[in-house]
Amino acid sequence: MLNRAQVNYLARESLAGFSRRKLTTGVTILIMASALMVLAVLTLVTLNLGTLLETARGGLDLRVYLRDDLPAAQLAELRPRLQALPGVQQVTWIDSEAALAEFRQQLGEDEPLLDLLDRNPLPSSYHLTFAPESRDPASVRAVRDEVVRWTEVSEILFNQEWVDALERWAFRFQMASLVAGLIVFLAAIFVISNTVKLTIASSARIIQIQKLVGATNAFIRTPFLCEGAVQGLLAGILAMSLLAIAGRILGDSLGGFVFFSPAQLFGFVLFCVTLGLAGSWAAMRKYLTLRSDI
Amino acid sequence: MATQQPKTRSRQAADAGGTSAAADSRAIISFHHVDLEYHDQKALADVTFSVANGEFVCLTGPSGAGKSSILRLVAMDAFPTKGQVIVRGMPATRMNRGRVPELRREIGFVFQDFRLLEDRSVEENVAFAQLVVGVPHQQILQNVMRVLTQVGLFDKRHRLPRQLSGGEQQRVAIARAMVNSPKILLADEPTGNLDPVTAQEIIDLLFRVNDGGTCVLFSTHDHEIVKTFGQRVLVVDGGRLLSDERRRVPVDRTASLVDHMYRAPAEATSPAPRPARREPAHA
Repeated sequence: MLNRAQVNYLARESLAGFSRRKLTTGVTILIMASALMVLAVLTLVTLNLGTLLETARGGLDLRVYLRDDLPAAQLAELRPRLQALPGVQQVTWIDSEAALAEFRQQLGEDEPLLDLLDRNPLPSSYHLTFAPESRDPASVRAVRDEVVRWTEVSEILFNQEWVDALERWAFRFQMASLVAGLIVFLAAIFVISNTVKLTIASSARIIQIQKLVGATNAFIRTPFLCEGAVQGLLAGILAMSLLAIAGRILGDSLGGFVFFSPAQLFGFVLFCVTLGLAGSWAAMRKYLTLRSDI
Repeated sequence: MATQQPKTRSRQAADAGGTSAAADSRAIISFHHVDLEYHDQKALADVTFSVANGEFVCLTGPSGAGKSSILRLVAMDAFPTKGQVIVRGMPATRMNRGRVPELRREIGFVFQDFRLLEDRSVEENVAFAQLVVGVPHQQILQNVMRVLTQVGLFDKRHRLPRQLSGGEQQRVAIARAMVNSPKILLADEPTGNLDPVTAQEIIDLLFRVNDGGTCVLFSTHDHEIVKTFGQRVLVVDGGRLLSDERRRVPVDRTASLVDHMYRAPAEATSPAPRPARREPAHA
C-alpha cells in the first residue's frame, strides 16, 4: 500500500516527462490524436453502414405472384400455409386490381399508357414480410426456395440483389477498417512507446537508484505507465473534440449520419488510455531492465 | 590521519567469519564454490568465503579481477552459474526474484562515481531512499536529519551535489546508503575518485558505520589502502579467491593512507602516535 508521500512522488514523476520534453510529448499527442481520428472516422463509418444495413434488412420481403386461373378456395387455402412458413410475420393479399392501381400511381404522368392495354396484365399476389430476427438474406431465401416449388405460384420477387450487394460492400469496408485500424493501433503504440523510451533513457539514474534501495518493480514502472496513459487520454480527448467540431461544421450535409453516443465516447477514450498503457508497457519490456547494473 | 582500527564488534565478527561450517551459522554472506559467467565469459570460479554479521572486509584485486562480480552476487543483481550464494539467509538459487527488492532494503550501496541525483538537494537525495520504500513522511524527515548529522553534512543539506566537493558527495552517498539502516554496506571503489586525504575520511566514515553494527564489504584496487588496512582482506584475481587474510595485527597499524602516499618510506613506517578518532561535526 502506498503512503501519501509515495502517491505524490508517483504523480509528480508521471507528469515530469510533460514538462521536461514539452515538444516531444506535444508532437506525440498530436500524431496519436491524428491516428485516433482516422480510427474514429473508420469506426463511425462502419457503425453507420451497420445501421444502413439494418434498415435495408428491414425492407427484405417477398412478393409471391399467383397463377391467374386459381379457384378462390385454393387462393384462400394458400394464406395460412404462407403464414406458417418460418420467420414470416405478416401475409397481405394484393389482388390484381389493387396492384394495377398501385402501378398507376408509380407511373405518375405516364399513367395514361396503361389505357392502351386491353386487359389488366398484373397477377394477384401475396406480400410477405418477416419478423426482425428473420430479416436476413439466408432466411428469406429459404422461404423463397420453398414457395417457388408450389404449383399455385407463378413467380416470386425478392429484393435480395441490392441487399446482397450492400452486405458485400459493408463486409469489405469492415475488413478494410479492421486492417487500417490495426495499422493505426500499432502506429499509436509505436509512437507512445518511443516517447516513453526517451523518458526511460533520461531517467536511467533515478531508476538505478530506486532499484538499489529496494523499490519494487511495480513502483519503478508506475510513473512510465501513467505517462503513457495520460498521453493516450489527452490524444483521445483531442481526437474526439476535433471530430465533434468537424461534425458540427459539416452539420446538415451529413444527413442522418450517427455520431458516437456518450457511452461509446467514453469507451473510445478508455481505449485510447489502454493504447497509451500498451505503448508504455512495450517500451518498458524492452528498455527497462530491472537489473541495477552495479 | 590514520586508518581507524576495528573496535570490539568487528573483532568479534572477524572471529566468527571465515569458511568453516561453524562460521557459516553466523554468516550474513556466504559463497559456496561459486562460479559466475557473463555471456560464456567466466567472471568468478569456485569462490568460497563467508562474512560474519558486523564484520568489515576489504575486497581487493586488480581491475577486472571479479570484485564487482562478488558485490553484484551479494546484491542479487547477478545469480551464480554454479554454487550457492546466501545473503541474510536467502539462497540466491532458490530465491523468488520478486523478493530481491526486499533483500536490497537491507543492503546499502556506495560507488566510486557517487551516483547522486544531480537535480535534487542533499536532503532530497537521502530522503529518496526512504521515500521509495514507503517510509512515512515524518519518519523520513527525522531519519534524514539524523544520518546527515552523522556524516557531517547537516549544514549543507539544501545544496545540490554539484555544489559539494567529491568527498562531500561521497558522504551524501554513504548517508543515502545508511538511512534505511542496512545490515550490509557494499562499497565499490568508494575512494577511487578521491584524493588521499578525502579517501581517508571516507574510510574512517565507513569504519564508523561498521561500529554501528553494519557489515561492510569494501572493494578497492588501491594497494596503498590495502597496506594500511587492519582488517580481513580478501584478494581476488582472474575470478578466483587467492587469499583470505585476517590481520589481527595490522601490517602497519599506525600509518595512514596519507602517510604512505606523501611521507618518505622510512618516515612512514616509523611508529607514530595514533590520532584521536574524529567525530562527525554534528554528532
